[in-house]
Amino acid sequence: MPYKFPSEDWIKEYQKAINTSEDYKQSGATWTAGSVCLVVTANPSVGIEKDVGIWLGLHKGVCEEIKLVPLEEAQKAPFVIMGDYSRWKQVVLGELDPVQGMMQGKLKLKGDLPTIVRYVRASQDLVQCASKVDTQFMDE
Amino acid sequence: MEGYKNKILEVDLSNFKMDVIDILDEDKKRFIGGSGVAAKLFLDRFNISADPLSPDNPLIVMNGPLTGTTLPGTSRFVACGKSPLTGIWGESACGGNFGAELKMAGWDGIIFKSASEKPCYLLIEDSRCKLLDGSDLWGKDIYQVTDILKARHKDGKQMKVFAIGRAGENRVRFAGIGNDKAHFAGRTGMGALMGSKKLKAIVVRGSGVCEPAMIDEYNTLRRTLIAKVSDSVPAQALRQMGTDSGMDLGMMTNDVPIKNWAYPQDFDLSSNLGGPTLTEKYLTKVHSCYACPVACKRVVRVADGPYRTEEGPGPEYETCCTFGTMIMNKDLAGVIKANELCNRAGIDTISGGAAIAFAYECYEKGTITKQDTDGLELRWGDIDAALKLIEMITERKGIGAILAEGTREAAKLFGKGTDEFLVEVKGLEAPMHDPRGWHGMGLGYAVSTRGACHLQHMTLYIEQGMSAYPETGLKANFKGPKSEEKAEMYLISEDLGGPCNSACLCLFVLGCLSATDFSEMLRVTTGHKDFDVQGLLKSGQRINLLKRTINSILGMKREDDRLPKRILTPLSPKGNAPDIDLMLKEYYALRGLDETGRPKRETLEAAGLKDLI
Ligand code: SF4
Repeated sequence: MPYKFPSEDWIKEYQKAINTSEDYKQSGATWTAGSVCLVVTANPSVGIEKDVGIWLGLHKGVCEEIKLVPLEEAQKAPFVIMGDYSRWKQVVLGELDPVQGMMQGKLKLKGDLPTIVRYVRASQDLVQCASKVDTQFMDE
Repeated sequence: MEGYKNKILEVDLSNFKMDVIDILDEDKKRFIGGSGVAAKLFLDRFNISADPLSPDNPLIVMNGPLTGTTLPGTSRFVACGKSPLTGIWGESACGGNFGAELKMAGWDGIIFKSASEKPCYLLIEDSRCKLLDGSDLWGKDIYQVTDILKARHKDGKQMKVFAIGRAGENRVRFAGIGNDKAHFAGRTGMGALMGSKKLKAIVVRGSGVCEPAMIDEYNTLRRTLIAKVSDSVPAQALRQMGTDSGMDLGMMTNDVPIKNWAYPQDFDLSSNLGGPTLTEKYLTKVHSCYACPVACKRVVRVADGPYRTEEGPGPEYETCCTFGTMIMNKDLAGVIKANELCNRAGIDTISGGAAIAFAYECYEKGTITKQDTDGLELRWGDIDAALKLIEMITERKGIGAILAEGTREAAKLFGKGTDEFLVEVKGLEAPMHDPRGWHGMGLGYAVSTRGACHLQHMTLYIEQGMSAYPETGLKANFKGPKSEEKAEMYLISEDLGGPCNSACLCLFVLGCLSATDFSEMLRVTTGHKDFDVQGLLKSGQRINLLKRTINSILGMKREDDRLPKRILTPLSPKGNAPDIDLMLKEYYALRGLDETGRPKRETLEAAGLKDLI
């Protein structure tokens, strides 16, 4: 059954995918830099009235916590990556590499760039996990 | 047209006579400046068939119209001539502050003809130009000669120095020229050409300014572009981690060559050698070229241990590969030491490091032995042997004398099938981006007019998705290991990169801007309206056709537009390799070349280059 992106059900599936990924377990094994929040900016035309963050409590190769949060809370994460719905859709579909997306300004990053660069493989693996979730996009 | 000083200094080193020449307005419009105009001067005024190390081969140092303005990334200048390494058109751009100072002294460039009998150096203080005895400087390394000359001519504003080291004096064929210790015209052996002229250094101080044509628009544009560059993520990555910021991502995308291009991914190497590690362990300051908000230059120090260094210029990404991944060395301190030795000697760290990795493989395969290496053991992972080889190359001692000829010649001299280990095109060792991960880069290596090159075009940025330039007609989202649609992408990236180099804008800065921004920079600086995006692309086409015509006269044929066998061999059973035949076929059609690789008559006519027919 496909899960609407983003939704409580979708993020639960996403957490499962992360925590069963052997690749992420390895590439994120030394990650102690804190949570990452992926913010989907408001887009009423697809039913997203306000900016919404997907908070990933990542620690040493495990996603310990996942939740949907409003923007104010999202911005408290040490790493915040923001983009509009179409960009995140491309990322989830594996059509846009998130690091390339950040380089091109299609996704905006707040946080320590050297850390992101050092964990570029882990970020790739997190995207792989997202693409494994059976996803229903809100504009389809 | 503004943006130019309308004066090129012509120095005859055989009799110390000097003359002043101008660039034709038509050539400014057609070829912009920098290496574009230098190539035209080379073709028009010199015997291009002369041996590269003979007095008849000129050394041309050129600025572009953007050099010395205060727009971002306008520090660049270029050293050109026939390459001692490749025997074809050679050019090497450099950042730093020399080009801007030369412009402020009132010069668009300098042409050195003939050769001096004794070591000398050129002193320029605005319009006063003198050749001085450089006998006491001969034998000094680049750091020493820079310090001596700055101290010797220290009255007033600090001098800017562009000098060769021992490698240039000894005509090591991949010797470069260093500006103020930290910036290098490294590629194609322009340092050897300078050494062959017994010219040790050029020293310049200028008191003028570089006035743009449209001052109000210029000021507005400058503010906008500085903000835009500063804000861009590639610029932030470069500022925080230098060019080595690309190592970790590159390892993931199969961009990083390992073990002389024969080994697949190794994340242990990239995490030890990449930008974050360089920053955390060795960075003391960041440094910038003239007028650049990016500040990608590193200042580093190895505080203790066997590779201890003073605080000084740090390695670029390319150097972290050639003295790191290419020889499987994961000690970044050793790379920093190697970088310092190369900087002092004036050795291109790409060709020099590639020559050393090539020697390691020859040693591993038994085609050379300890007898050939003066007892040195060349073992993968060992940086100490590489450090000794740098010295041997610099002084042309033992096997160093063979490697100093470049890998193509070294393979001929070693024989025994060592050409299988070569990764060069037209004699220029390939830079550290693996075309098996990025096929468009492979086409760039095959057809670039100076041999395997990643800087004559914008492919690195475009193919890897860091920049898009939709206003040039480029499509987006290219897949790295695919050859389809790459010829068209590459052609546009070449037509954008050529003007960038000729205008003397830093490619990294263009990587943070749009093509429209670049055209605006030229418009407000020169006041010339034809430098819109389409006009720029046309200039890029002309610049490429001009250099290709020179190379055709020098004997380059279609078979020289090629990739080495190693690059055409996948790294693993699941890996792939560029379809170079497909890309070449498409590129030749798009560029309008005949079956020999020469521009067709109608191509030249349509490009406004009848004079090249
Ligand atoms: S980006 Fe780096 S190389 Fe280019 S001009 Fe700026 S400091 Fe120099």
